[in-house]
Amino acid sequence: MTDIPGTLWTLVATPLSYGFMQRALLVAVLTGAVCAVLSCYLVLKGWSLMGDAVSHAVLPGIVLAVVLGLPLAVGAFAAGVFCAVATGYLKDHSRVKEDTVMGIVFSGMFGLGLVLFTKIETDQHLLHVLFGNMLGVTDRDLIETAVVAGLTLAIILARRRDLLLYCFDPRHARAVGLRVEWLHYGLLVLLSLTIVASLKAVGVILVVAMLVAPGATAYLLTRRFERMLMVAAGVAIGSSVLGTLASFHINGATGPCIVLIQAALFALALLRDQLMRRRALA
Amino acid sequence: MSELLVPFAYDYMVKAIWVSALVGGTCAFLSAYLMLKGWSLMGDALGHSIVPGVAGAYLLKLPYAAGAFFAGILAALGMTLVRTHTRLREDAVIGIVFTAFFAAGLLLVSINPASVSIQSIALGNILGISDDDAFQVVIISVVTLAVLLAKWKDLMLLFFDESQARAVGLRTTALKVLFFALLSATTVAALQTVGACLVIAMVVTPGATAYLLTDRFGRLLAVSVAIGVSTSALGAYVSYFLDGATGGVMVVLQTLVFLAAFIFAPRHGLLAGRRKARAAAEVASP
Repeated sequence: MTDIPGTLWTLVATPLSYGFMQRALLVAVLTGAVCAVLSCYLVLKGWSLMGDAVSHAVLPGIVLAVVLGLPLAVGAFAAGVFCAVATGYLKDHSRVKEDTVMGIVFSGMFGLGLVLFTKIETDQHLLHVLFGNMLGVTDRDLIETAVVAGLTLAIILARRRDLLLYCFDPRHARAVGLRVEWLHYGLLVLLSLTIVASLKAVGVILVVAMLVAPGATAYLLTRRFERMLMVAAGVAIGSSVLGTLASFHINGATGPCIVLIQAALFALALLRDQLMRRRALA
Repeated sequence: MSELLVPFAYDYMVKAIWVSALVGGTCAFLSAYLMLKGWSLMGDALGHSIVPGVAGAYLLKLPYAAGAFFAGILAALGMTLVRTHTRLREDAVIGIVFTAFFAAGLLLVSINPASVSIQSIALGNILGISDDDAFQVVIISVVTLAVLLAKWKDLMLLFFDESQARAVGLRTTALKVLFFALLSATTVAALQTVGACLVIAMVVTPGATAYLLTDRFGRLLAVSVAIGVSTSALGAYVSYFLDGATGGVMVVLQTLVFLAAFIFAPRHGLLAGRRKARAAAEVASP
């Protein structure tokens, strides 16, 4: 036991000698990275609840996609956008507050998804859709996730300045001639795509954690946006690697392990922030 | 016809129906207040946060309600602590804390799958509820309802106009603590009927629906409770024919009632709004 580097190496190498663990690690890193980049925008915009809502709302879309023989991504995507549009419509045409409307719409859609699931024969397991099935990821799943995640990342990074301006100050964005409605719905589309990409890894219920924690952590650590993107991605990728390896050793579910490590890193960032501020005051 | 009565021949169905109705009514009572305050996220967060407590309690063979309360209080403290110490937005803080708690609960269940199934925590399992758990649910609901009936006017004043409430000598902080205690108690009960993921519907939708139908708060409470009781009982009943998804059926019913109110409500509905706009247009252009 004195050989610490050797022990560490076995801790890492043993899980990775299995093919399913290699695929799990890859899919976790991909998912973590794309969620982290988007989470920076969601945190700045105050859209954490939106992530929660859209991720639950995709469930009926997934079931219908199975029925119609479409790719799951198409159904999930349509349902996610429907949730956002329906929320906007109901809010504009009634006197109920936005967060209440959102709660009603996404819980209603989630409930509908559950009912559809019991009535329709699918080859999907409900629990896999809800909580992901990281250890059962196939090569095909890996490719699908990589394509969706890569596409989403590319779009976000290409338009990162426009999106940033929109999140910080929509009025200014409009004033300089950006099409604010397009950016609004663009961000929603990216959110739905990200949730689709995360389906295999963490499922629709835990993805909201990955859509909040990295951005919030990075927000505490830096004040420059470009750096915030990188810190968030670093935090998420690190948590994905550590969480996947840890879940192998403690024989627990992978998604929750990753989320808990992200939360722990957030707590550390919070502690550092507090210490810095206290020192600044002293 | 007799086929429709089949569910009532089973003890477990009768139990599920009346327990669901009781829980639905309690949740609906609280939903009137939550909806006014815009605290929907709070209901969702509490519903998820109590999961590790429930998982832990089943593991240690303690009453599930005790564990749930403990976790709920921890989560509330955590949120307060983080919120007072950062410049982060409130929704992000709530999001991080509740998902971390939920993840901890899922991890506990995954390490010890024998004690309780993940499905019954996330999605509820009122059709298979044990007598022991049903007893806890009933006690929680009855106590919550009793307190609410005694204090509903004080809470109303607190939520509509806090400074006025203070001026007439109400202890506002104590009342707020009371409200959150009641809210967590109800989410603990609702966990058994619809599960952690759908608790939010139970504590939001009936109140919002009633809000579209009436302008007086006393009546709003009555309408909300009526919606909660009827959709929950009917949901449990219908789920017999669907072989499950009890929580899903209840929530879908509540959403449908909301949509009906959204369109047809006599004064605040979509059609009423159109009528009003048309009447205004006719007055404007004679």
